[in-house]
Amino acid sequence: MTTAERTRERRLTTARAMVEGIAQEMRRNEEVFVMGEDVGAYGGIFGTTTGLLDEFGPERVMDTPISETGFIGAGVGAAIEGMRPIVELMFVDFFGVCMDQIYNHMAKIHYESGGNVKVPMVLMTSVGGGYSDGAQHSQCLWATFAHLPGMKIVVPSNPRDAKGLMISAIRDDNPVVYMTHKGIMGLAWMAKNARSVGPVPEEEYEVPIGKASVAREGTDATVVTLSLSVHHALDVAERLSGEGIELEVLDLRSLVPLDREAILESVGKTGRVLVVDEDYRSFGLSGEIAATIAEEDPAMLKAPLARVAVPDVPIPYARPLERAVLPTPERIEEAARGLVGA
Amino acid sequence: MIEVRFPVLNESEPDAEGVLATWFVGDGEEVGEGQLLCEVQVEKSSEDVHSEGAGTIRLAVSEGEVVRQGEVIARIE
Repeated sequence: MTTAERTRERRLTTARAMVEGIAQEMRRNEEVFVMGEDVGAYGGIFGTTTGLLDEFGPERVMDTPISETGFIGAGVGAAIEGMRPIVELMFVDFFGVCMDQIYNHMAKIHYESGGNVKVPMVLMTSVGGGYSDGAQHSQCLWATFAHLPGMKIVVPSNPRDAKGLMISAIRDDNPVVYMTHKGIMGLAWMAKNARSVGPVPEEEYEVPIGKASVAREGTDATVVTLSLSVHHALDVAERLSGEGIELEVLDLRSLVPLDREAILESVGKTGRVLVVDEDYRSFGLSGEIAATIAEEDPAMLKAPLARVAVPDVPIPYARPLERAVLPTPERIEEAARGLVGA
Repeated sequence: MIEVRFPVLNESEPDAEGVLATWFVGDGEEVGEGQLLCEVQVEKSSEDVHSEGAGTIRLAVSEGEVVRQGEVIARIE
């Protein structure tokens, strides 16, 4: 075996890949800066800004007081004046105290100014449950943001996409909400998924916003999903493959714009679709996917659409109850079997 | 040969145990000086371990394994 064969591609956790993307953009453009709660010395509670303060100093990596409406509003103002702020909302669940800044200002100023004023801002936030953090720290809520016009929404599932989507988000002239599930970050202190560590190119690169990715090719049914659920769906697909059932797994990566073409192409091929969504079931992503297919051609489905989502209840704190509502591999497998009649 | 040891994160309890949280390299791979090898954790604090030399790395403990501070976790030949 040669040296080259034994040296794998460089691997990073998702959190480190995000930091690398931010740092590279901060080096090439001095308008890029970071602010939020504990993004400085602490490095972000989910590791999204670790090491940035040391390299860029407190003027470009700013710890803020606990006033989301204040510092997100400050971010909007800075973006309007030509900066490219990356503002961290520590948990997406905290959106309630700052939503006016997000959806009435960040999202609408470009429209209200007739396109004269741009808001090139990244709102970075952590989502998702699975570790008993209770009803106010475990939600995904991406459909809530995707429902409101004026913001792009990206939701990477792995280190490579996390870096590329971060660079794309920073370079985009529109406000981009960048949502990462705590379970894909590769954090030492949280239950870790094997796919939260993976190869990441060292150079700068973009992953296009609005383009889904086929995470696994298959012929029998399409699993349309995103974020941590991609990892679970891939685990289930590998298990079912042993029984001759081949699932295709489509990682949406972005919700706005939604890659409807990729959904229709895959479902057109397999004729069966399971939507796996860690957000609430009603009025959300799974309904949007169903409508996308129904509007194009309901006859492309050989079986009724299936969905695994969080039932319309707050996320429980008690671990067994939380597991009962989350889209666990067990629930995904059961739904996939039902879909293909196995 | 270089011995890579689990760093002492808890200085008041040198015998404290920690966890090898993540290996960023695989057994038998070539590593370079300064390369990130792994992340380790003692209680709630974590630290990166970088390579002090170049060579072929042999991992002595698995990811997720509980290790006493100061123990050898890998050898670079």
